[in-house]
Amino acid sequence: MALTRREFLKWSGTAGAAAAAMCLGFDLKPVQSYAADLKILKAKETTTICPYCAVGCGLIAHTKKSGKLLNAEGDPDHPINEGALCAKGAALYQMTVNKNRMKNPLYRAPESDEWEEIEWDDALQKIAEKIKETRDATFTEQNDNGQVVNRTTGIAHVGSAALDNEECWLLQGIMRAMGLVYIEHQARI
Amino acid sequence: MAGKFFFIDTTRCTACRGCQIACKQYKKHSASKTKQYGSYQNPLDLDGNTFRLVRFSEHPSKENSMVWYFFTEACRHCLKPPCKKKVDQIKKDAIIVNEFGAVLYTEKMKGLEKSSKAIKQACPWSIPNWSKEEKQMVKCNMCYDRVEAGLPTACAKACPTGALNFGDEADMKKLAQERLAAVKKKFGGRGEILDLEDVRALYLIIDEQAKYRPVA
Amino acid sequence: MTNHWIDIRNSDCILIMGSNAAENHPISMKWVGKAMDKGATLISVDPRFTRTSSKADIYAPLRSGTDIAFLGGMMNYILSNNKFHKEYAANYTNASFIVGSEFDFKDGLFAGYDPKKKKYDKSKWAFEKDGNGVPKRDLTLKDPRCVFQLMKKHYSRYTPKTVSSITGTPEKDLKKVWEPYAKTGAADKTGTIMYAMGWTQHTVGVQNIRMMAMIQLLLGNMGRPGGGVNALRGESNVQGSTDHCLLFHILPGYLKTPRASNDSLAAYNKKWTPKTSDPLSANWWGNTPKYSVSFLKSMFGEAATQENNFGYSWLPKIDDGKTYSWLDIFDEMYQGKFKGFFAWGQNPACSGANSNKTRQAMAKLDWMVNVNIFDNETASFWKGPGMKPDEIKTEVFFLPCYTSVEKEGSITNSGRWMQWRYAASKPPRGCKSDGDIMVELFEKVRELYETDGKFPEPIKNMRWDYVKDGKFDAHAIAKLVNGYFEKDATVKGKSFKKGTLVPSFAYLLDDGSTSSGNWLYCNSYTEKGNMAARREKKDPTGMGLYPEWSWCWPVNRRIIYNRASVDLNGKPWSANKNILEYKDGKWVGDVPDGGWPPMSNKEKTKRPFIMKPDGVASVFGPGRADGPLPEHYEPLECPVPKNLMSSQRMNPVAPVYGTEADAHLSCDPRFPFVGTTYRVTEHWQTGILTRWQPWLLETQPQLFVEMSNELAKLKGINNGDMCKVSSARGKVEAVAMVTGRFKPMTVQGLTVHQVGLPWCFGWIYPKDGGDSANLLTPSTGDPNTRIPETKAFMVNVEKLGKRRA
Repeated sequence: MALTRREFLKWSGTAGAAAAAMCLGFDLKPVQSYAADLKILKAKETTTICPYCAVGCGLIAHTKKSGKLLNAEGDPDHPINEGALCAKGAALYQMTVNKNRMKNPLYRAPESDEWEEIEWDDALQKIAEKIKETRDATFTEQNDNGQVVNRTTGIAHVGSAALDNEECWLLQGIMRAMGLVYIEHQARI
Repeated sequence: MAGKFFFIDTTRCTACRGCQIACKQYKKHSASKTKQYGSYQNPLDLDGNTFRLVRFSEHPSKENSMVWYFFTEACRHCLKPPCKKKVDQIKKDAIIVNEFGAVLYTEKMKGLEKSSKAIKQACPWSIPNWSKEEKQMVKCNMCYDRVEAGLPTACAKACPTGALNFGDEADMKKLAQERLAAVKKKFGGRGEILDLEDVRALYLIIDEQAKYRPVA
Repeated sequence: MTNHWIDIRNSDCILIMGSNAAENHPISMKWVGKAMDKGATLISVDPRFTRTSSKADIYAPLRSGTDIAFLGGMMNYILSNNKFHKEYAANYTNASFIVGSEFDFKDGLFAGYDPKKKKYDKSKWAFEKDGNGVPKRDLTLKDPRCVFQLMKKHYSRYTPKTVSSITGTPEKDLKKVWEPYAKTGAADKTGTIMYAMGWTQHTVGVQNIRMMAMIQLLLGNMGRPGGGVNALRGESNVQGSTDHCLLFHILPGYLKTPRASNDSLAAYNKKWTPKTSDPLSANWWGNTPKYSVSFLKSMFGEAATQENNFGYSWLPKIDDGKTYSWLDIFDEMYQGKFKGFFAWGQNPACSGANSNKTRQAMAKLDWMVNVNIFDNETASFWKGPGMKPDEIKTEVFFLPCYTSVEKEGSITNSGRWMQWRYAASKPPRGCKSDGDIMVELFEKVRELYETDGKFPEPIKNMRWDYVKDGKFDAHAIAKLVNGYFEKDATVKGKSFKKGTLVPSFAYLLDDGSTSSGNWLYCNSYTEKGNMAARREKKDPTGMGLYPEWSWCWPVNRRIIYNRASVDLNGKPWSANKNILEYKDGKWVGDVPDGGWPPMSNKEKTKRPFIMKPDGVASVFGPGRADGPLPEHYEPLECPVPKNLMSSQRMNPVAPVYGTEADAHLSCDPRFPFVGTTYRVTEHWQTGILTRWQPWLLETQPQLFVEMSNELAKLKGINNGDMCKVSSARGKVEAVAMVTGRFKPMTVQGLTVHQVGLPWCFGWIYPKDGGDSANLLTPSTGDPNTRIPETKAFMVNVEKLGKRRA
């Protein structure tokens, strides 16, 4: 993605200030200065849109070469927020870089009191089998009035307004192709 | 003295706390374990990880029955910093003032634990705090690294409403006067700018200062 | 939103009611502030003095659940003081239509009510038509049976005194709101409404919004800059997910879900394609067959042929008259009627009304799949409070997914802007993108159906050419959602090759020559490129439309119904509100709602509200389940013994569920206080994403209950005390926040206390954070939308002996 040089870098008339500041001396570097080398200036910039409310504020995500997220702050070129963010938007970094994230599929067996880890392929295979078993057992070709309905009422689905448009479209597509009619999400509540 | 100034228009603040979190985000400060104690404000005060804090204060009022004031608090970056005066007596130049006027606590501040109370008391607003992680007194550093690179501070950049502004002295003072005039017009003559001659963080308020923040 | 965020700055009066924008849509206040700098008035109406109220010029409290009374009074004020925009109302709304003689309204009931079925026969509300089948009008608005006069009569009952004794708002405060807002009826002024779940989450949710839409129409505020009816949507892509219809009753682009009685594609198209006899009505939905066939082509590709009705029979059908909504899902799940359940990117154990019922319902499933970033109360429901894992048979799969910065795709904001996001950071090993999970899962299902299985056709025939090497590709699907020419075709004199992206929905066809996953998004990804990714910051009108920044539906129209922003000659109602103007035979400005000339050209014009069969906006709404005119009813649970407006205490057609988990109690001394729920800036929805983030948790660590000083005194509660808040359905422990921002109200001569709780907490994390406020809320809702009534219910508050650790 090509980004034009933004107001972000033009904000202040203090060109050359960084060089001048060096004169302060070698041992006078303030603490709390992890970003003193201003990693964000060297980082890769990617525009994104806030995942919380639907104002749709723009952000810039700064990443290292390794793909690690370093920082995320408002996109000053975005006409809605012009660089501003609320508390949630300003914390976007911490949704991604977060030790509490789940990083493995989990399975809970019937009557069990604990999660167990499961491989992705096993999890998806098992779910697919459950879908088929339930769908085949509950599939209704005709309703009580003898009308053709071709649906399953054994499975319900909710979610999600947090998905991208393309995911939403595909999700409604596969759910409907599988014959679900109980399809709902956050817009209903 | 030229340099950078903050201008805080409290009448515009909605307490979205974008500034409070943007500060933590940029500096990657950790969070403290807090409790709900009957207020939207948290943490209770500035601390070793919290360099900027939005204070919430509600009071009965004739207009609209209530006022709910929000006050984004951080170091004022005094023109003649009392904390520096104090610390210079102990360790010369542990606190420096950079060319933009940022009052900066350097690594020489390490090991001054015994003086921490005195340093805090030297500040008219009790801003600096002891950081257990850094083992020294800490406070807002005016995002000096960003400012050197021509960027706004993380907090001011995050502000959506124009409550928290940052820029060159002349621009901020001009904005402050314009807003003071507009605010006085809107609020029946009320409005003042605090400590205009002494600090680099100019606050516009429309009520007694004690209604915004604890005043000693 | 009919308008968009930046457009708020063009307003002269901003009413924030049914939302707390400063709290939940903080950046919107940037644009509210810009309007105020130019002299706009900000009004906040809310049961509680909020962050929004703190910035308002005018604040008025009201009892939760009484918005129709409040606004009905405003309507009465507008009509009886002639504050409305007459030319606009007469020409652009159905205010001039003559209502049939069967219409009636008596004691809270409209004509046609069947008390046994709790349903209306809506045919009793139809308009009188002339010999050509066009509704009769009286443009002078004087006919006693015209909509305007019926409305005037209906709302004359909403006097300030009556309204005040229903809403609890002091009479002087009512007028303080009504007067400035009504001033936007002047042609050079516009007013806007910013609402959210404070209006939708009621048994009268739809009518709350209709009531305001009617006011906007009578004041001439619709379609105009600084005006409109603006729903502040709460999730980053709830607009897009609604447009793509992850909902039981609609297919992408708001096409109707086929009913069992629509036994063929022809029958479906016939039933759901509205007709008009009015030559001046564009009746845009008349294009429905083009959109439904193009949708089927996107679903089933080459397998969808003219011969097999484009695979229409492969779409599942719902029974006529039955609802399959959220409330129905959990009611039926509670009764053990489902085996399998997906909760994909959602946390229903905390988010829906009546969480105890929801949580118990999930224990009756055979299996459940939860896709999310963090552990949550839904995935782990079986080890939640009161659950006995060894008695719960539900198998649960938790699938961890990417965050928004780890994948690529678009989301649509509240202003209908479709904005592209890019993958920025490398996702953790062990997680998958939602898109890849969908692709891999469906490929496995399809594989199983290779050999055998019931009705495999839709699964086998689902179009899949947009999947490459088993990977989800957002661009490929975005293109399919836009649509392709599926064969060489000539439309409107232009020839297109097979495989070309369709330039806009005006080019879609009903013969299978085109596909379009969602006709509303046709024009979003064309041969010119990915429109959603645009970042060109031009503002030719100077009104903040930014037409080349991202893309918005429909066809990049930034303010919908914008042809109502001009007079009959195509000139803006006032020069300072110019987003569109008819000049030298063409429209200049925003993309107009259709290119026809203005109304003064009687041969070639079309009326501006092109999505309505009559071409005008409906101040009278004969299609609603609960009546053509909004009427005040009390919530399911309320603090007063009677409805002052009629002997119908609650909405007579609102759904009420009957399991033992659905207890509800009004005027019961055990639950004497009005309860409501809301959000906080620092957490998002159930808190599933934000409670796990230390910076945000630090700012809002635990559940609280806000209450007035007076109530606290009455109950011996001090600020910061631990309290128990209970309803007929559940209880939570919360820290008391004693505040002057809630005040007791006088309603029907009684003192009514209100309390409020945020619903962003849950038992799973933090352990001392408290549980969901939705444990208290009832499973009832609006009869049109079935959105639950979580904004007004009855509770008790008691002090607990201990403080939370």
